[in-house]
Amino acid sequence: MLQAENTLFTLVMLLYFSAMILYFAFVALKKDPIVKVAMGLQGLGLVLHTAALVLRGLAAGRLPLTNQYEFATAFAWGLCLVSLIFMLRFTFPLLGAFSAPVTFLIIGYAAMQSKEIHNLMPALQSNWLGFHVSTAIIAYGAFGVSFVLGIIFLLRDKMKAQGFLDEHIPSREKLDIIAYRSVSLGLLFLSFTIITGAIWAERAWGSYWSWDPKETWSLVTWLVYAVYLHLRLRKGWQGKAAAIFAVAGFVCVMFTYIGVNTFLPGVHSYK
Amino acid sequence: MKKVWKFLSSMPFAIGLLVALSAVCALSSLITQGQTYEWYAGAYGPRLGALILALGLDDAFHSWWFWVLTGVLCGNLLLCNLVRLRPLINRTRGFYSADGLPETQDAAPVVHRPKEVFAALSMTPRETERQGQRILFASKNGLGLWGPWVCHLGILLLVVGFSLGQALHREYVVYGVKGQTKPIGDTGYALTIDDFQVKLRADDTVEQYEAAVTVFPQGEAGRGQSARLSVNHPASLFGMKLYQNSTGWAAALTVSKEGQVLEEQILCAGEGLQVQAVPGLVVYLNAFYPDFYLRPGYGPMTLSGALNNPAYLYSIYFQDAMVGMDYWQMEEGPIKVNDYEFTFHDPESYTLLEIKKDKFAWLTLMGGILVLLGLGLCFYVQPVQLWAREQADGTWMVYGKSPKGGPLFTERLLQATEKAKES
Ligand code: HEM
Repeated sequence: MLQAENTLFTLVMLLYFSAMILYFAFVALKKDPIVKVAMGLQGLGLVLHTAALVLRGLAAGRLPLTNQYEFATAFAWGLCLVSLIFMLRFTFPLLGAFSAPVTFLIIGYAAMQSKEIHNLMPALQSNWLGFHVSTAIIAYGAFGVSFVLGIIFLLRDKMKAQGFLDEHIPSREKLDIIAYRSVSLGLLFLSFTIITGAIWAERAWGSYWSWDPKETWSLVTWLVYAVYLHLRLRKGWQGKAAAIFAVAGFVCVMFTYIGVNTFLPGVHSYK
Repeated sequence: MKKVWKFLSSMPFAIGLLVALSAVCALSSLITQGQTYEWYAGAYGPRLGALILALGLDDAFHSWWFWVLTGVLCGNLLLCNLVRLRPLINRTRGFYSADGLPETQDAAPVVHRPKEVFAALSMTPRETERQGQRILFASKNGLGLWGPWVCHLGILLLVVGFSLGQALHREYVVYGVKGQTKPIGDTGYALTIDDFQVKLRADDTVEQYEAAVTVFPQGEAGRGQSARLSVNHPASLFGMKLYQNSTGWAAALTVSKEGQVLEEQILCAGEGLQVQAVPGLVVYLNAFYPDFYLRPGYGPMTLSGALNNPAYLYSIYFQDAMVGMDYWQMEEGPIKVNDYEFTFHDPESYTLLEIKKDKFAWLTLMGGILVLLGLGLCFYVQPVQLWAREQADGTWMVYGKSPKGGPLFTERLLQATEKAKES
């Protein structure tokens, strides 16, 4: 089963890569049918990615969400899913040209991690861990999308509106509200992540919050997005300032995800 | 004075607080917590080291200024929610009444079949009248207006519950082997370890640590309550929560003289026995290796968790001065000090249990649930008001409001009106 998962994983990487190239081609050649194929490939990649995760879950006999490799591949899955939903929901296929490279980077990071399946230490054997990590995947995916939207917003201001871009990039107001929607989704799920994580920590370690660096950084991330929401409610702070915050928020997400494990010690480092 | 209150309950102040809090948390997480001056001086230099200690950055999350910051945040949230309660109630009332229709509506779409617009937005209108004109009106998702308020209340409860828990919770540690009974700090209760097992998988990794305990009021063993607990499955007894925290090795130490046993005691690794017959003589069990291997150049290690080649690291102190320290294995025969003989035997795993009393954890949990509910209301229950006003020529002018919807709502409304335009 692991062999099959491995093959699927490689296939998924290829599909995401091809989709990314096609999105770029769409921007370069300005031909609408190309983007349909790109989205199709991304969708197919997502289906196979889901199958790979299911296979790994079956092979391990548990949710495949407990080490760096498993979380990284699931993160890419979440980003791919949320970006596809946003592309379809807001008829915004050009989003793919920006989200696909991020998805590819993350799945590339996953490919560099050890794929071995280890037995779980007792603290990690918990249903709350399942809730904790699966909500984190959606939250991170949604924040990834808002990061990309923030960048598109900032670039849109720089680029002179041309016919093609004008047609395929929503207005500033609409971009702002789509980014707001993705931050909302992310913040709701991040709150679920933090709360289920606290419940799990209480059961596993006897303390629901111990200012472990990963906990602290997830709180920092949560606060940064809370600031984003409040700023957006103030006149003059929508648009550019909010977009900058959406980008900064994702930097915090990435630091919480990779930086904390790399630079700061704590129970979340799985070492 | 009024201005000060207004500022303290305002959103700009809240934004400043949130920024300050996140900055402080980020900074503190980068400084290793709970170290000594020597450590900080070594890592950051003497000046910065002293500054870190002076500012309490070595234990930032329990420092006075962190308490002040959380206190001010709570005050701000409380004021903000109090000040906004009345207006919110009024706004909710207004939300369900058709009166909010502005006198003039620029560029409002005109349709022939207004009810279809309502149907497209899953709304059922009721009819009223204004200045002789018929008006259709419906509103939905008014609960969404309460999202921020509920979320802020949740944060308030969460922070208050957490802070009270931090300040007032009690925490005890009890460790021992199967069969031992020990007091739980100053609670007036004691605990017997009825059983403890380390469950190993075939590959020698730990599957679970399982303990069974009985807790009873001291002196009233008959009133005991029993429970099983393991990692991720704590137990609650007498208002205390018990957690399986960690484990280690213990062994029995027998003291004898001329073949006669003088005393025997179980020692967990790290503990010592004060020999009764020789005041000032203490024997410590420093460590235990079930599958001992002395790796050249590296020192002692254990090859597995199984009792294949047990070895004890012990040390002997007389009047606080170390007089001996060595590895010892059963085949070497008893350790001898003058006429006294010491033997370690019957190694077994001990359990370390953590016992906590936090009367405010439920408040934190309630707060957390309210935050989730509030955010859900904010983001996914979007208030919508929709009017259609009949005009002299029999067409209807449609006007919709959805404060959160922005251009997305306008788009949706235009789509809905497009179809209802034909007569
Ligand atoms: C970590 C803390 C906080 C979080 C997570 C939070 C969350 C939120 C959310 C989700 C909204 C709704 C935003 C939207 O719908 O776009 C909101 C609005 C608001 N918040 Fe906060 N908030 C926090 C702290 C505060 C504080 C301390 C104040 C104190 C004044 C405050 C004042 C407001 C106000 C006035 C609104 C506007 C409400 C409205 O439009 O009806 N917030 N907040």
